[in-house]
Amino acid sequence: MITYTAVGLLGLLALSIPVGIVLFLLGIGIDQFFSAFPLLRGMGALVWSSSNSATLIAIPFFILLGEILVRSGVAARTYAALDKWVSWLPGGLIHANIATATMFSATSGSSVATAATVATVAMPQAEKLGYDPKLFSGAIAAGGTLGIMIPPSINLIVYGFLTQSSIPQLFLAGLIPGLGLAVAFVIMTAVICTIRPSLGGERRSFPWAARMGALLQLVPILLLFAAIVGSIYKGWATPTEAAAIGVAGAFVIALIFGRVDVPMIGLALLGTIKVTSMIMLIVIGASFLNFTLASAGLGRELQAFLNGLGLSTVATMLVIVLIYIVLGFFIETLSLMVVTIPIIVPLVVEMGYDPVWFGILMIVLVEMALITPPVGLNLYVVQGARTSGNLSDVMLGVIPYVIVLLLMAAALLIFPQIALFLPQLLN
Amino acid sequence: MADSVLRILRILNRGVAYLIGIMLLACAAFVLADIVLRQVGASFGGTDEISGYVMAIATAWGMGYAMVELSHVRIDLLRQQVDALGRSLFDIFAMIVTTGVILLIAYECWPVLARSITNGSTANTPLETPLVWVQGPWFAGWVWFGIVSTLTTLSALSLIVQGRFSESEQAIGAFGEADML
Repeated sequence: MITYTAVGLLGLLALSIPVGIVLFLLGIGIDQFFSAFPLLRGMGALVWSSSNSATLIAIPFFILLGEILVRSGVAARTYAALDKWVSWLPGGLIHANIATATMFSATSGSSVATAATVATVAMPQAEKLGYDPKLFSGAIAAGGTLGIMIPPSINLIVYGFLTQSSIPQLFLAGLIPGLGLAVAFVIMTAVICTIRPSLGGERRSFPWAARMGALLQLVPILLLFAAIVGSIYKGWATPTEAAAIGVAGAFVIALIFGRVDVPMIGLALLGTIKVTSMIMLIVIGASFLNFTLASAGLGRELQAFLNGLGLSTVATMLVIVLIYIVLGFFIETLSLMVVTIPIIVPLVVEMGYDPVWFGILMIVLVEMALITPPVGLNLYVVQGARTSGNLSDVMLGVIPYVIVLLLMAAALLIFPQIALFLPQLLN
Repeated sequence: MADSVLRILRILNRGVAYLIGIMLLACAAFVLADIVLRQVGASFGGTDEISGYVMAIATAWGMGYAMVELSHVRIDLLRQQVDALGRSLFDIFAMIVTTGVILLIAYECWPVLARSITNGSTANTPLETPLVWVQGPWFAGWVWFGIVSTLTTLSALSLIVQGRFSESEQAIGAFGEADML
C-alpha cells in the first residue's frame, strides 16, 4: 500500500493532474484495492467535515490580511522605512530585503506573496544603486521563504489540522527557528559582503531623525504582529479570532498609511478566494486520503515497513530528510507538505518523535524546496519582477541561503529544543 | 460558441467570488464583534459554529473561480517539455480526470444533505442549526464546481479539436503559480 501510494502519487503528479485531485484519486484507489469496507461512502461526510471548520477559516483571514497590506501600498513603504535602519550593514539594501520579508511573514503567512511584494519594490532600487543582481535577488527569494515559518503561518495551520496537533504550540515552536533563520540570513549576507564588498553595493547610513520618522511606519506593523501572536499565546483568542483581529488591524493600518478604495478591496477579496480555494482543494483531498489510508490499516503496514528496513531511528530520520530535499526539487511547499503528511507523519510519530517538532523541521525543508530549482516558486517570482538578467542569477544567489537552511535543519535534528523550548515553557 | 461559454463562466465565477469574499468579511466582523462583546461579559455564542459553516460554503463555491483562474496547483514539469499539441493533450487529460473526480465528489455529497433533509437534522449545538440551511448551499457549491468543470472541459475540447491550442491553453493550461498572486 505504501509503494502503491508513493508510485501513484509521483506518476499522477507528473501527468500534471491538479494536486488536490491526485490525492482524491489515490484515496479512491485505496478504497478499491486495499480496503475491505466501502470507504467511498464516507467521502461526502469527509468533504463536509474537513471544510466545516472554524480553525481553517483562519486561512482566508490571514491571506486577506496580507492582501490588504500589499495592495494598499503599506508593504512598499515598509521597505523604504527598513532601508533606513539596516542599510549601514555590509550588504546594504540586501538586509532591507530580508527584514521586509521577515516583517511581512510575521503578519501575512504567505511566502510567495512576501517574495512577490519585496521583489517588486526592491528590484528597481538594486539596478539604480549598482548591486550584484545574484546575491540581491537570491536574498529576496530566500527571505520570502520565512513566511511559512514565522507565525502566523498558513502552512502550520494546515499541518496542525491534518495531524491534529495544537496550532498555538506549532506557532510558538516556529518562532525561534523563524527569527533565527532571519538573523542567520543577515549574518550570512554581511559575511559574504565583507569578504567580497563588490557584491554588496553601497553602504548607506541615515541620520537618526530619518530613522525615527521611519519608525512611525514600522511600529503599527510590529504592533499588529504582537496583537496577533500575543493574543494567541496569552489564550485570549483562538488563531481564528486572532486572524479576524489581524484583518481589522490591517484595514486600520492601510487607512492611515496607504490607499483603501473599493477596487482595491475587491482585488484583495478575489485574491483571497483564489488562494484559499486552491489550498482547500488540496487540504480536503489530503483529509480524504488520510482517512482511507488510516482505515485500510496504514499503521500496521508502517510498523512492518520500519521493522523491515532495520534502520535505527536516527538513520530513518536522515532518510526522511533526504526524501524531502529530493522531492523539494520538483514539488512545491504546500503540495509537498500535504502529500507527504499522511505517510511520513504517522511514521515519525511511530518512532517516538514529537509531531510539533517534526512540523517545524518539515517547514525548514519545505522552505528549501521553495528556492531549489528546477521547481522553486520563489525563484520564478523574483525573476518575474526583474527587468533584465537570467533565472540562473537568482539560482546562484540563493545558494548561501540554502546552506543556512541546511544548517538549521541539522540544528533542529541535533537540538530539538530550538523548536520545543517555547511550547514547553507554555505548558 | 466555446469561447463565449468560457467567457460567461469566468464572469459568473467572478461574481460568485465577490459574494463569498463579502461573506468572509462579514464573518470576520462577526467574530470581532463577539470578541468585543466578550470583554463586557456578553457573547453571541456559536461564532465557531457559524464560521465553520461559512468556511464550508465559501470553499465549495470558490473552487469554480479558482478553476477558471487556473489557480489549482499542477506540477507541470513534464508538460513544459512538449509542444503546443502535447501541452493541450496534458491539459485536456487533466481536465477530464478532474471533472470525473469532482462529479463523483458532488454525487457523494448528496447523501449527506439527503440525510439531513429526511431526518430534519439539527446541529448538536446550542444553536440547533437546521443542517439543511447550511448543507444545502454547501452541496450546491460542489454541484456548481461540477458544472463549471464539465462546461470548461467541453469548451476546451472543442477548441483543441479545432486546433486552437493557444486559446485552449488560456482556458485550461498551467501557468507559473506566480501569475496568480
